[in-house]
Amino acid sequence: MFQFLFRYPPAAYARGHFVLLAAWPAWVLPLLVIAAAGVLLWLLRRRWNRRTAAVWGLQSAVIAVILLLLWQPALAVSELQPEQNIVAVLVDDSRSMALPNADADSGPTREQAALNSLQSSLLPALRRKYQTRVFSFDSKITRLADAGNLSQIKPAALATRIQDSLRQLLDQTGSLPVGAVVLLSDGADAGVDSATMAALAARHIPIHTVGFGSLQPPRDVSLDDVELPAEALAKSRVQATVSVRQNGFASQHAALTVRSGNAILASQPITLPPDGQTATVPVMFNAGPAAPKTISFELAPLPGESSRADNTQSRLINVVTRPQRVLYIEGEPRWEYKFIRRAEAKDSQIQLVSMVRATQNKIYRQGVTDPAELADGFPARAQDLFRYQALIIGSVEAAYFTPLQQDLIQAFAERRGGGILFLGGQYSLADGGWADSAMAPLLPLTLPSHKATFVRADLGPGGKNATAALTSTGGSSIVTRLVDDPAANARKWRGLPFLMDYQDAGIPKPGATVLANVLAPDGRTLPLLTLEDYGRGRTAVLATSGTWRWQMNLPLGDPSHDLFWNQLVRWLSAPSPGQLTARVSPPTLYDSGAAHLTADVRDADYNPAAAVPTLTAHIQQPDGAAVDAPMQASPQNPGEFSADFNASLPGPYLATINAPGFGQTTVSFERFDGVAENFHTEQNRDLLERLAHQTGGAYWQPSQAGQLAAAIPYSSAGIATQQNLPLWNLPINFLLLLLLPLGEWFLRRKWGVV
Amino acid sequence: MKLALVLLCVAIAAFAVQFGGYQRYGRFQPAPTNERAEFAWSRLQYDPAVGSSGGFGGYGYGFRRGRRGLWSTDYPKADRTFLDALKRLTRINARSYEQPVSLSTDDVFNYPFLYAVQVQSWTFTPPEALKLHDYLLKGGFLMVDDFHGTADWDNFMLGMRMVFPNRPVVDLPDNDEIFHVLYNLDDKFQVPGEQFVNTGRTYEKDGYVPKWRAIRDDDGRVMVAICHNMHLGDAWEWADSPQYPEKFAGMAFRIGVNYVMYSMTH
Repeated sequence: MFQFLFRYPPAAYARGHFVLLAAWPAWVLPLLVIAAAGVLLWLLRRRWNRRTAAVWGLQSAVIAVILLLLWQPALAVSELQPEQNIVAVLVDDSRSMALPNADADSGPTREQAALNSLQSSLLPALRRKYQTRVFSFDSKITRLADAGNLSQIKPAALATRIQDSLRQLLDQTGSLPVGAVVLLSDGADAGVDSATMAALAARHIPIHTVGFGSLQPPRDVSLDDVELPAEALAKSRVQATVSVRQNGFASQHAALTVRSGNAILASQPITLPPDGQTATVPVMFNAGPAAPKTISFELAPLPGESSRADNTQSRLINVVTRPQRVLYIEGEPRWEYKFIRRAEAKDSQIQLVSMVRATQNKIYRQGVTDPAELADGFPARAQDLFRYQALIIGSVEAAYFTPLQQDLIQAFAERRGGGILFLGGQYSLADGGWADSAMAPLLPLTLPSHKATFVRADLGPGGKNATAALTSTGGSSIVTRLVDDPAANARKWRGLPFLMDYQDAGIPKPGATVLANVLAPDGRTLPLLTLEDYGRGRTAVLATSGTWRWQMNLPLGDPSHDLFWNQLVRWLSAPSPGQLTARVSPPTLYDSGAAHLTADVRDADYNPAAAVPTLTAHIQQPDGAAVDAPMQASPQNPGEFSADFNASLPGPYLATINAPGFGQTTVSFERFDGVAENFHTEQNRDLLERLAHQTGGAYWQPSQAGQLAAAIPYSSAGIATQQNLPLWNLPINFLLLLLLPLGEWFLRRKWGVV
Repeated sequence: MKLALVLLCVAIAAFAVQFGGYQRYGRFQPAPTNERAEFAWSRLQYDPAVGSSGGFGGYGYGFRRGRRGLWSTDYPKADRTFLDALKRLTRINARSYEQPVSLSTDDVFNYPFLYAVQVQSWTFTPPEALKLHDYLLKGGFLMVDDFHGTADWDNFMLGMRMVFPNRPVVDLPDNDEIFHVLYNLDDKFQVPGEQFVNTGRTYEKDGYVPKWRAIRDDDGRVMVAICHNMHLGDAWEWADSPQYPEKFAGMAFRIGVNYVMYSMTH
């Protein structure tokens, strides 16, 4: 219908622009239209009402159309020269194309449907006007030697890589007049990067996509993603976040199992989200002894699932033994100090070095490695303070620290990337003058402006005291986890003995996370444990020094107190980077070996290291062989080195980077082949539409494929000529000139004035 | 005559009950209950063992204890004098008044430091022994003082074995951290009770040699500090007496401060 009324296909209008071919100036046209409408208005002015207004509108429209046609409207568009241009036809041959094309399990596969479309309508239509080249594509393109024999294309490749295929096509056809690309696929790919899009735009090649496969997701449960820290301390508790999507199993339960090899690390039921939605579920497990490990996450298949291949994901985690040195400064002897020390003594990965102001002028040190450590008090040099991974500041007035030390404490989190925990106390937070200090920005809360915020427990008969309660975030946090189940964890916290003291720490800053609150005896709910990221590091406030009462008042052997402190101090210290850090992008490679290794080297003050020898990444491959990847210094970022590495084999890789004088670090990554195709098996129409629209092409359903050839000519790629397609003779024009007077006649008849 | 003697004893006992403890330097007011602080000097209240009188070897013990039992020896002046010193010599936020604590309630778990005297006379019910056992293993600290000689030791151990049947008692070496946590106490000596003023004798009963002993937890930390054959409580109580030598009081304070500091850091 569109082409009948408008004579040219929609693509012509989409790619062309409107012009007036008459010799008369274009600005005269609107003037004449306005003048004609004005004259009509003047003639009808004495009888002006709703009816005359309608008549005026219709007659003005007729005059406007006639005037427009007199100015010879046309569509200026680039049109491909017949027989001189090439149309590249790309047919997806990845495994997902072997799935049924429709919702039903039977019927032709996507590949068969694509080939049928090609053979029956698309290719014959294209060949009438253009040269065609047919390619199969997956992660690479392969030109069919015999374009007439499409049966060579088999859906067996491990993955679809549209981006890589388009890149190869551009490279191979750089000197050829490619007028358009027709891409037949289910779109089972992540996307196309901006560089490839820019390369396509530079050659003005429109991509017409034809989508295959059901648009409706199948009845299936899919373990879409797993977020897991790249590194963990030995014997620590690790939290992974699992993303589960489903269709057709809303509110049912699926069992999630976490394994390392054959050993089951964790198992928990998951309540499935509503259809089409994704649920993110935290799951915790013990990291176990130090070693690089592949952790697999598996959802038990449910009856009637269309695919079980998308129920499993695996991730690498590098479990390391790296004792964390934590400096704890306490302004007065307190029971909390003692019980924190006792809790941390049980953690083999934490070395707690502490200093407590025993008297006005005496500092008692514990955990020092040599007599000189902290002998002069709190460190006053960056290299002395930055040797610790975390800092705990107890009941210490802000003014106790010199301005230089205050700057160092700030840099400890911001530049060094360490963790700082502030405890409540009579000299802490607002009562210790921290609100007005230069270190106030470090705190995750805006402290009260008044003093006397620290309240000790009332141990007298009938005394009412403060208890702790988790927030919804705290229920599933690795820091506040006392039992794995969030609801049971919240109940466990509510059952803890009352705190020996608490402090009003103020209002959480934007971006801060409150994991636990104090339920004060006066009815107020105050932040108890608040965390935030600060610079490269982390800061936290625990607005009490009375958690020791949990240890003394819970039954002997109850692990709550020690577990909480172990987790809190590990959260504080474990992410603190060393002088040499490394990362891989992406950490998980799907059907591609392109890995980018980056190393960051810092000096003892944690400024980018200026003088670093050449770095080399020693990479152990899945087959046991080791290769060296020289790393190049970044000209823009001092201390940064990088290397591109091709992980040619599927499996885990372990890269070790050694920088003499700065330390050694390891980083792991893994390549999976043929896994990505198992997920999101429905047609990725969004990707195909986006790709088409961004290149000037169009998305087509298979049933419309016969019309595709008509849209091909209007392209500025290849060998094209500029055409002015006349618009004065469109059927729509004549129809309008007929319908507008008829409309006026019909209205007059209706009003009885004819 | 016998009746008169009995009446006299009853009258003296009633006097002791009314005023309690040593009264030479003025009466003590009952401990205020509204003062809140980090540290409370907690004195262990316990029931005396059947047959124990505590009247042997000491000077004037019997009439001072009265119905309170031997747990309150030197109470409360020793406690308050020591607290004055503790607050003056350290940054510990200590309550000004003592806190008697019994094992009959769970209140003991709010006070991780316990001081007990005349422990040759203590005994526990099984629940009390279990409570003290748990208290110490959770991180509580017990300091015992003012018991002397072989018989007292044996009686003390009868109670201690109800708490820890098998845990060994060890002598604390001079280099133990408890003697260096604040003051270096390499020159320790026997601290006598107030009897020294009249007799010049530093020992009581057959406790001629001071014993610094301890029961440690599984990680080697002192959880029961045993001051045997010495009387630190008397030294604190009599610290402001012109007749009581300063060197004994000074040593007693340093030992007490070190023990408290150790209990709050280990």
